[in-house]
Amino acid sequence: MMPDEIIAQLNAEFQCREQQVHHLAALYTTHFPSPLSLNIHGLTATGKSSILRSYFHLSRLPHTIINVRECITARHLLERIVAASLDALDDFNDEKIDRRPYARTENLSALCVNMGKLLDGREKFILVLDAVDKLREGAGTLIAALGRLGEMIPTLSLILTTTLPLTPSTLHCASTSFLHFPSYTRADLLTILSASPPKIFTATPSLELFPDYTPDLAAEEDAWLWGRFLQAVYDSLSKHTGRDLLSLRNCAMRLWRPFVEPVVSGQFGTRDFSRLIVNRRHLFQLEESVLDRIINSTTSDAALTTGVLATPKPSKTTPHNLPYYTTYILLAAYLASYNPSRTDVTYFMKHTDKRKNKRRAPSAASFSVTGKRTGTKHRKISRHLLTPSPFTLDRLLAIFRALLDGTVPQVADLYTQIATLTSMRLLVRAGGAGSNDALERGGRWRVNFGWEYARALGRSVNLEVGEYLVGGVD
Amino acid sequence: MEHQRCYIYEPPETEERAPKRQRTGKFNPQAQLSERLQTYRDIWAQQEERIQDTLEGADSATQDKIVNFISASASSSGETQFAIPTALIVAGPSIASHGPFFERLGRSITDDTNSVYVVLTSGECPNLKTLLKNLIKKVTSRVEDEDEDDVDRPSVSSRYGPKLLNYDLGHVQEWQKKTCAASIVVALQDSEAFDLGLLVDMVDLFHSWLDRLPFVLLFGIATSAESFEERLAGNSLRYLEGEKFDVTQSDEIIEKLFTATVANTDARLRIGPNLCHRMLDRQKDHVQNTQDFCDGLKYAYMSHFYASVPSVFLKDGIAFEDLAADAFEAVRNLPSFRRWVEEKLEDGQAQDVRQLLDSNESLFDQITQHIKSGQQALSNLSHSTHVLAGIREALRMSPSVRLSSIWTRAASGELNGSPLVRETMLSIKKIPSDKLVQLLAAMNELESDYFSIDLVSSQQRLDSLLKDTDAPLRTQHDVRNDSLRTTVVAQKVLLSKHKAALSEQDKAYSDLVTRFHDELDAYFTSSLIDPRTLFLSEILMYDLKSPHTEVFQPKPRFAVERALASPHDYLGCDCCTGVDGNPAALSATQPATAIVYQMYLESGTLINVSDLWSAFNAIAGDGVEENEPKTMALFQRALAELKYLGLVKPSRKKPDHISKIMWKGL
Ligand SMILES: Nc1ncnc2c1ncn2[C@@H]1O[C@H](COP(=O)(O)OP(=O)(O)O)[C@@H](O)[C@H]1O
Ligand SMILES: [Mg+2]
Repeated sequence: MMPDEIIAQLNAEFQCREQQVHHLAALYTTHFPSPLSLNIHGLTATGKSSILRSYFHLSRLPHTIINVRECITARHLLERIVAASLDALDDFNDEKIDRRPYARTENLSALCVNMGKLLDGREKFILVLDAVDKLREGAGTLIAALGRLGEMIPTLSLILTTTLPLTPSTLHCASTSFLHFPSYTRADLLTILSASPPKIFTATPSLELFPDYTPDLAAEEDAWLWGRFLQAVYDSLSKHTGRDLLSLRNCAMRLWRPFVEPVVSGQFGTRDFSRLIVNRRHLFQLEESVLDRIINSTTSDAALTTGVLATPKPSKTTPHNLPYYTTYILLAAYLASYNPSRTDVTYFMKHTDKRKNKRRAPSAASFSVTGKRTGTKHRKISRHLLTPSPFTLDRLLAIFRALLDGTVPQVADLYTQIATLTSMRLLVRAGGAGSNDALERGGRWRVNFGWEYARALGRSVNLEVGEYLVGGVD
Repeated sequence: MEHQRCYIYEPPETEERAPKRQRTGKFNPQAQLSERLQTYRDIWAQQEERIQDTLEGADSATQDKIVNFISASASSSGETQFAIPTALIVAGPSIASHGPFFERLGRSITDDTNSVYVVLTSGECPNLKTLLKNLIKKVTSRVEDEDEDDVDRPSVSSRYGPKLLNYDLGHVQEWQKKTCAASIVVALQDSEAFDLGLLVDMVDLFHSWLDRLPFVLLFGIATSAESFEERLAGNSLRYLEGEKFDVTQSDEIIEKLFTATVANTDARLRIGPNLCHRMLDRQKDHVQNTQDFCDGLKYAYMSHFYASVPSVFLKDGIAFEDLAADAFEAVRNLPSFRRWVEEKLEDGQAQDVRQLLDSNESLFDQITQHIKSGQQALSNLSHSTHVLAGIREALRMSPSVRLSSIWTRAASGELNGSPLVRETMLSIKKIPSDKLVQLLAAMNELESDYFSIDLVSSQQRLDSLLKDTDAPLRTQHDVRNDSLRTTVVAQKVLLSKHKAALSEQDKAYSDLVTRFHDELDAYFTSSLIDPRTLFLSEILMYDLKSPHTEVFQPKPRFAVERALASPHDYLGCDCCTGVDGNPAALSATQPATAIVYQMYLESGTLINVSDLWSAFNAIAGDGVEENEPKTMALFQRALAELKYLGLVKPSRKKPDHISKIMWKGL
């Protein structure tokens, strides 16, 4: 394909990227030399990967593209580079290279040797390492070394894509060129997204009933409404959330069905945009519209279509049905994490009259005690907002027994429960020596849940946790 | 001594005989063990089958939904997917039952869809590399099992060329090319226990492979789907999309298991009320774990047949010749036999009693008869609890009482005439006809050999009554037929109840209900017996607390603390009973560790070792200078043992101090 055709096709496929496509087309052609290494940088979803893929696919230059996200270790990346280059060369030249010399690529020098051997006497080969900054280990030196690979193997030209431009300090090399893929502007985004409007009617209205609603007309209506809708989504939501192409598209797709629902049900016509937007304005105010969730279909759809604003999600705080004593162990753990141990005597000591010492009024005393010691006036942050502090097992058990009215036999089940809670990550072993050894004496734990959960747990067994919490919350 | 690392300790051999000698009589406590074992196996096999059926039935609905979800995501994989199909399986806090659940799920997934199914647990996946290795091994090994001869096949890049690293998902891709599985289902059984960073990495990686490998993720969740979502970072959430599935809560499954096994009318051996209480309470209070419940049940059955010789009579079709005399002797020693015999004596049947005591044959006849009738009575009892629970459910009476608790109360003989039954009967007395229709319909399902009431005729009469009315009929006991009349007499308000006049139809209906009520009442009274009054109840029902609690609810900490704090309880020797009748006092004869432990109990959090030593020396030492090193050795060993038990650790706060880390009684 001729360069001009390629450019035209790419520009049709990826709008608003003319400049970048031109640059690529100028840099990578069959006959002219290409830069030894090029760093393409730009934020997510600016089309780096897709445009590179399409461009090289169309230009038929010998190349291979490696997604560094898929490489687990540095060794993995090196092996992949050699294997992928072999595959690519086999493909392009329709030959079968003898692979035996390339069996192992343990380290960088092996890579240099192997690639040198492989590309010796061949024409230009382009190696694209996509998202090099996502390399999981050994990123620093490896990138620098890879960047200079081209200096040793003249026929190799390397493209590294990253989110941020590689700094000279990581590259150790001045010859690298850069190509920036800027983020899309509002106008760009709207142009790109409106190119592919979704349908208003999932099931096309039958031609017999609506003879003038032809497929052509339908497409036109879809595009018109989608364009208007996109503008509304961008203006109302993108101020607060990501403005990149993907999140805007996700967001718009999520809202589209509930948005056109009145049109589908026949309440409004397809061109009644202003009435529609007034009717559906709650969609643009809901938190659900912008939150990423795994479960989209059921819960949030209900909220989106009914338009119930700010439903206090009850499910979020209702704890799972835990066994009775397990609940108490968790509560005791919470209190052990959030109360300083010196207050235990005040809160949990059983008096002779069996009355437990709950907090009576918001205790100013506890504030001033801490205040004096640290020299600040008042502790500003409520305790339950701080990170939980570690506690020993016996303190947990002591508080557990103090919270309960009757006695609990010292059965092994209590320890089983603690182990279970640990594997559910509601309790976690606090760090320090031997924190992996369950039998380590004097091991310490922390809770791994917040105030809301603790309160709901307490209420499930009729216990107000706040009453036992130093400087408590109500 | 320095060059030796270990020593063989040879205790000095004593000439004396062991204090306890074995009984040498020819009484064999394990008489007919093999027959009992056989009987146990027969009976338990039936129960086991019921358990399996119940378990499979209990989560079949959820499993079907999950399987549908997977096949739906497999069929839609033609289009490009933006996110990995994900099922959040909220399996509840009973972690131990997650394993069997995912196993069953795996079976139905591989049976019903063209997918591979891989379960990963947090234990085997400490990091991404190991996770991938495990995944690859599990995914690809399936095929190699099928075509063994193909093992040597060259990998992607020829046999001598670069090989894929063993954590490269390329292996899976290669495998996928051959098998064309519709989806690769990866289940993370205990997803909360996985390292969060690992999960994020894994999701990221799977997402980037999604165009080549049709991954489906199943997350097993113990807490809640919301808190799981909260833990994952935003980007990973964007890569996942799916549904939430709730697994049946384990307390419901336990209830079903109980109904199917213990409260089953066909059970040949029953578990007594005390044991039931223990097992159910433990489920409620400590662990929610179906497997544990089944184990408890099995253990009870095993204990019954292992420990009691008369249990051999439960064997199906046992003949007199099969039995040893021991078995009859054992029956004659049963409390229920004594009671029965005494009753007979009171009735003046001394001749019969003589025969029972002398002749094994006649005792055998009586036993077989009574086993049969006892089992019949127990089945009646079980069935009546089902009826009672059924009635309460049909009438939607509150509080809703579970069958398990009704059954337990019935088995302890408390139910007859109890408020629960009275209240139920009362509401039947007042039942309006629309509800009676529902009730009769519900009770039709309960009809069986053990249920003698003639529902059909009641039904017919009710139908004929209802034919000509639209409004529901009421009985005379219905409050809505009463009207209150208020009169003011001498400034006092008098309330008086008046029965509204009943219509003919209402009267007829009242008669019908009254008869139904009376029949039901008689049925309950006759079937709700106290099973412990039955002759041979010890054989028909196992209700011993002892080995069960020790096995299922051991108290390790309590045992250690007790042994150290009052060694006499275990040693039972004369020397350690205490000084001057005070059992709590320390004495030199106690083991050194026990002495130090008791001093440890009395001290504060930080213990000065040298103080401890002087106190120890005062008690255990004899005041002679030369013997002090010996005492010191004892002391050091005691301290080392406490440290080994995890009771003390060296303190960093003060030199020469140790800190106390365990308190007694926690
Ligand atoms: N100009 C554009 N026109 C159409 N689609 C685009 C454009 N730019 C990006 N996309 C789409 O956005 C998605 C993300 O692009 P990608 O190339 O992965 O971005 P990056 O590699 O920069 O993160 C792709 O599905 C791509 O098709
Ligand atoms: Mg990219």
